[in-house]
Amino acid sequence: MKERVLLLFIIVFICFACRNSSNKKGEFVFPEADSVPVSEAEKLSPEAIADISKNIASPVEIANLLHMLEVPFSQNYLATSIDANKQSTNFDKALKLGILGADLGYLNMYEKTSSSLDVLSSIRKIAEDIKVGQFFDFESIKRLSMNKTNLDSLLFISINSYTQIDNYLRSNDRGQLSALMIIGVWIEGQYLATQVVSQFPDKILSDRIGEQKIILNDLLLLVSPYCNRDLKFTELCKNLQNIKDKYRDIRITYTQGDPVSVEKDGGLVITQTETSVVEMSKEQLEGIIEITKNIRNRLILNN
Amino acid sequence: MMKKNIITLLFLLTFGFLSFGQATDSFVSNCAMNAGVNAKYLKDFRIQLGKAATQSELRYKANMSLWKNTKYRFSLCNTEGSQGQLILNIKDDANKVILSSFDQKTGKIYSFVDFVCNKSGMYQLNYDFTNGQQGSGVGVVSLVK
Repeated sequence: MKERVLLLFIIVFICFACRNSSNKKGEFVFPEADSVPVSEAEKLSPEAIADISKNIASPVEIANLLHMLEVPFSQNYLATSIDANKQSTNFDKALKLGILGADLGYLNMYEKTSSSLDVLSSIRKIAEDIKVGQFFDFESIKRLSMNKTNLDSLLFISINSYTQIDNYLRSNDRGQLSALMIIGVWIEGQYLATQVVSQFPDKILSDRIGEQKIILNDLLLLVSPYCNRDLKFTELCKNLQNIKDKYRDIRITYTQGDPVSVEKDGGLVITQTETSVVEMSKEQLEGIIEITKNIRNRLILNN
Repeated sequence: MMKKNIITLLFLLTFGFLSFGQATDSFVSNCAMNAGVNAKYLKDFRIQLGKAATQSELRYKANMSLWKNTKYRFSLCNTEGSQGQLILNIKDDANKVILSSFDQKTGKIYSFVDFVCNKSGMYQLNYDFTNGQQGSGVGVVSLVK
């Protein structure tokens, strides 16, 4: 009888221990400065933050569009000046992790995988510095990068690594780093799109830039709890607000229609007949190109 | 005897937790890799639901911005132990259903749906298992050429 009670006690103890394992001291040690005051974190519910994060954080969508439009690849768009060894604060590290993630997505999409090894090394260094290196499957990504036949696996592992880092940061009271990473991904994607459109004007691409108005509010919402945290955050919030101001007079209108569906290859194909139309002048686009370039180039400066 | 039991138990629990994590990733990865030759993985939604008390709306909800001039593929995969089959519908910002993987008239369930998006905006992805059954699965979103 005693043995059974003891056994039951051990089962219950292990179950509770495992459930909270990610918060255990000793497994990972985080700098005290990373902790977010409860009042700040409470402004948005964790579910709302998770929803916004999951929606914005995709390092490959803009790169995919550029690839689809057959825009030639250029190394010049990449943030090659980032030196992983010269990032002194967690603010800089998290932001650069996002920027480099977008660059990795761009390289992967164009299958410039051998060139991605430098970016991968920087990502690994920075991820380890902010104690999230365990989620970045460097060896698998490196192996897949060398083997060009498996682009989908490479995209899956790369994106999955970033998703896990983001989830981990948010569930461990380091939401400010998650927000920075997401902003880094977004600003670099925006930089890629705006640089390309200034060299290769294209209606689809300029529309996509104009349509970023749809998610800019969410981006600001994500970072807003931390805007008064320190000078760097205040500056970043101001920069994002300046970008938002450039979008103020851009209009997105919609036309109505019902979706059309057909069966094809065992699946269903649905074509939307409703459309969105971006009304953006040349001057407005130029304003966005200019401000994006200035902000992004300031952000990639080493400390 | 007692010591042996404890060691066995510890081994089983540790192995169980580790293999569960790996199995989940491998299941998601398989679903993503089987999305098709021209499909590029974008993101996934991992869904685990018990049996619904009542059947009304699809229970798992997530927001996602979809962009004009893009073709998305929504692939649906269930684990073997699921009682129901994973289904999806997508609503636009006016709460209008624009896509469903489940044809209510014929009862046909599609394992993937391609969506040619022509209106950029925020959409609500709603997942559930058929008839509100218990199940676990993954919804993978890919970009299609």
